[in-house]
Amino acid sequence: MDAAELKAYEELQPIHPDPASFLRRYVFSLDHKVIAKQFLWAGLIFLLVGGTLAMMIRWQWAYPGQPVPVLGPLLLKNSGGVIGPATYMTVFTMHGLIMIFFAITPILIGAFGNYCIPLMIGARDMAFPFLNLASFWTFALSLVLVLCSFFGQLGAAGAGWTTYPPLSTNIGTPGNGQTFMVAAIFVTGVSSIMGGINYVTTVIRHRAPGMGYFRMPLTVWGLWLTAILNVLFVPVLGSAALLLFLDRVFGTQFFIAGAAAVKGGGDPILFQHLFWIFGHPEVYILILPAWGIVSDILSFFSRKPANWYRGSVYAMCAVTVLSAVVYGHHMFMTGMNPLLGQSFMLLTLIISVPAEVLFLNWLRTIWRGSIRTDPPMLFALGMVFVFGLGGLTGLYLGATVPDIYLHDTMFVVGHFHLTMAAASFLGSLAAIYYWFPKMFGRTMSPGLGKLHFWWSVVLITLVFSGQLIAGYSGQSRRLYDPYQYSFLQHLRPLNQYTSYAAFILLAGQFVFIYNFIHSMVAGPKASDNPWSVGTLEWFTTSPPPHHNYDRIPLVLRGPHEFADPEVRHRLGRDWIGQAEVLPEVAATPATLRGA
Amino acid sequence: MLLFAAPLEGHGYGMPHDASLDGWRIDALINETSFFVVLLFVLMVAWMLWAVFRHGRNHQARFDHGTSRRSIAVALGIAAAIFFVVDGHLFVNSVLSWRDVFGNFAWAESQPQAVRVEVNAHQWSWAVRYAGPDGKFNTPDDIVLLNEVVVPQGAPILFQLVSTDVIHAFNIPNMRAKIDVVPGMVNRLWFTPRETGEFDIACAQHCGANHYKMKAKLTVLPRADYERWAAEASANSDRAFDPDDKDSHWGWEWSEHSRI
Repeated sequence: MDAAELKAYEELQPIHPDPASFLRRYVFSLDHKVIAKQFLWAGLIFLLVGGTLAMMIRWQWAYPGQPVPVLGPLLLKNSGGVIGPATYMTVFTMHGLIMIFFAITPILIGAFGNYCIPLMIGARDMAFPFLNLASFWTFALSLVLVLCSFFGQLGAAGAGWTTYPPLSTNIGTPGNGQTFMVAAIFVTGVSSIMGGINYVTTVIRHRAPGMGYFRMPLTVWGLWLTAILNVLFVPVLGSAALLLFLDRVFGTQFFIAGAAAVKGGGDPILFQHLFWIFGHPEVYILILPAWGIVSDILSFFSRKPANWYRGSVYAMCAVTVLSAVVYGHHMFMTGMNPLLGQSFMLLTLIISVPAEVLFLNWLRTIWRGSIRTDPPMLFALGMVFVFGLGGLTGLYLGATVPDIYLHDTMFVVGHFHLTMAAASFLGSLAAIYYWFPKMFGRTMSPGLGKLHFWWSVVLITLVFSGQLIAGYSGQSRRLYDPYQYSFLQHLRPLNQYTSYAAFILLAGQFVFIYNFIHSMVAGPKASDNPWSVGTLEWFTTSPPPHHNYDRIPLVLRGPHEFADPEVRHRLGRDWIGQAEVLPEVAATPATLRGA
Repeated sequence: MLLFAAPLEGHGYGMPHDASLDGWRIDALINETSFFVVLLFVLMVAWMLWAVFRHGRNHQARFDHGTSRRSIAVALGIAAAIFFVVDGHLFVNSVLSWRDVFGNFAWAESQPQAVRVEVNAHQWSWAVRYAGPDGKFNTPDDIVLLNEVVVPQGAPILFQLVSTDVIHAFNIPNMRAKIDVVPGMVNRLWFTPRETGEFDIACAQHCGANHYKMKAKLTVLPRADYERWAAEASANSDRAFDPDDKDSHWGWEWSEHSRI
């Protein structure tokens, strides 16, 4: 690469001076690293809110109609701490919507998308820093709408996270709590689209010289594919939310139909098509970043190249494309034409092939490695474990005949929590433990990290396996009191054990909260490259300066060059940076001994 | 993996007792898939544990990008094998069971002993209607029930279902039968009760605050008892018929592909 070309790269991304005022620095910042932290904080706080709501659901299934300890006197004064049926439906609805749109999305995509993409491709910032700022503050507006929903007349939104009309219209859920939530989904969708456009453009335009697509860390691949899905499919959700908003507020009838009690010429199934054309890509939107992050971390902490890197990339691309054409399996029970059902079944089962290729790559990456069980690696392995269980249980639900029995049962709930919740949660934590030193310049306690890991992975498996068993035994999801039905009465102890596991799981998260906050303030100073990894972000300071890189790096190789005998011979270590020049001469014997 | 250990009927953590003639197809497909799933899961966990314990810090990592032809062929071969065996088994059996039984309304309609039931769902109950002796729905001799369905043993029971307000789902776990009930559509469902007895009918789709109470009872009687019950119920309905109560006059002409 000649000097003129390098100059062109520098001119594309000139160094801007650090912002001086507090507001420009920490509040309305254009810096992708600050915006990432804003998303991280917002996501973690709402994760706690969503988790608290989950505990209320678990309490209800263990002890229906009994006063909720601790939270009941605080939140449910009017009913003496008891969750009533109308409150219950708002609790599970808000739990689902908050976790998906306001917890996992901001943490994995908002925080790590923002933090990792520019740093890992050697850019100084996002392609459109102002759009990035607008994306966060639009997201903040949607959070305000969520909070408004909690204080709505007749309570918060209650039509389920899927928001199926006519239940989600004024026929089923009058009151502005539901309206606020529909508006919040629309607004957060706008934020996601702005972020998506930014990420897609940044990866295409701002990769450092030498950073070909096939030299990008798999984290960037996962985040980039997620951004592409966001740009393509969130607008569909936006259109559905907008039409539903019109039905609710302006009396249109896009989704209202009825033969008798309710008049209307619309079609409730139309909403389900719009929702799931978005909704199925959405589950991959939530898991692709975690897939990418885990693919990288498994290689980094096995000290071994990622197995068949291109295979993982092709597999993630194939999943991205297929995710758009499998959504019909959510609608097998709607009275769909059987031929259409069979087509969706076939497409759904085909998506398991790239998923298996990716999975085999993970298993073969750790095979014959030199595994370091630091917290990021433990969480990555935990993610593989829960995703394995979650992915396999998806097989039943992708086929039309088992779905007759399993549809809308707790089995579905267990399945999608293992894939979307447990796997995304453990993937997010792997990312937090891994990039914490870079983000905050300090080190988290590895001992507390390991305690947090074992506490979380054991209990998360118990909780969601308990749900799988309850569903297999016939328990429908979303029941206020499952024991109304004679065939479910014997499941009360199972549900109670599952609930105890969930309460202990939540308690374990305080280990993390303590470790996270304490380390941020008083953790030992982190070195620039504490994990001895070769991707670009570890070649700047911890935390990086405002402009990330003084000189834009010239990338020479892929992200996973571990255990190369040539590197060991010349540098005396088992890794080499993506932009590091391999010296011509061998390292001195002294250095070799040190390695 | 207690998860899929031998399902005990009626208690324990297994599927509820299957009282239908064809539910075994669903149960068998679920349990056969569980065999593969448990096998794959155990292999995966064993592999991970082996790697973590045997290839730890003291193990020398291998410099291998896994890009040899052989390595890629192994990965694709395993993925293809799992796809054709596990997914293929699910696909073929689902297509066949759907063709022969669950979606085979033509056969069920053609059976002379078949019983036809119309269901009108609303928040939060199931209104149920039989055509009565004249074979026509929405006439005075219709049998009209609330939250109750009575059917004979051993005959195909055909349901056509509508909703007047929001989406519900008609779910009889003991009969392995489920279908959404959607405003503006007539959905259909059929099954054959193998055993007599009383079973729960549940709503499976969140339909509002009292969704959990949207419960009905399915009673399966021996054929002779059913005929006796039907004659009496029809006569009672005829006597109770109120020509001015327009709200209670619902029902549609039955055809194999009804539309509202």
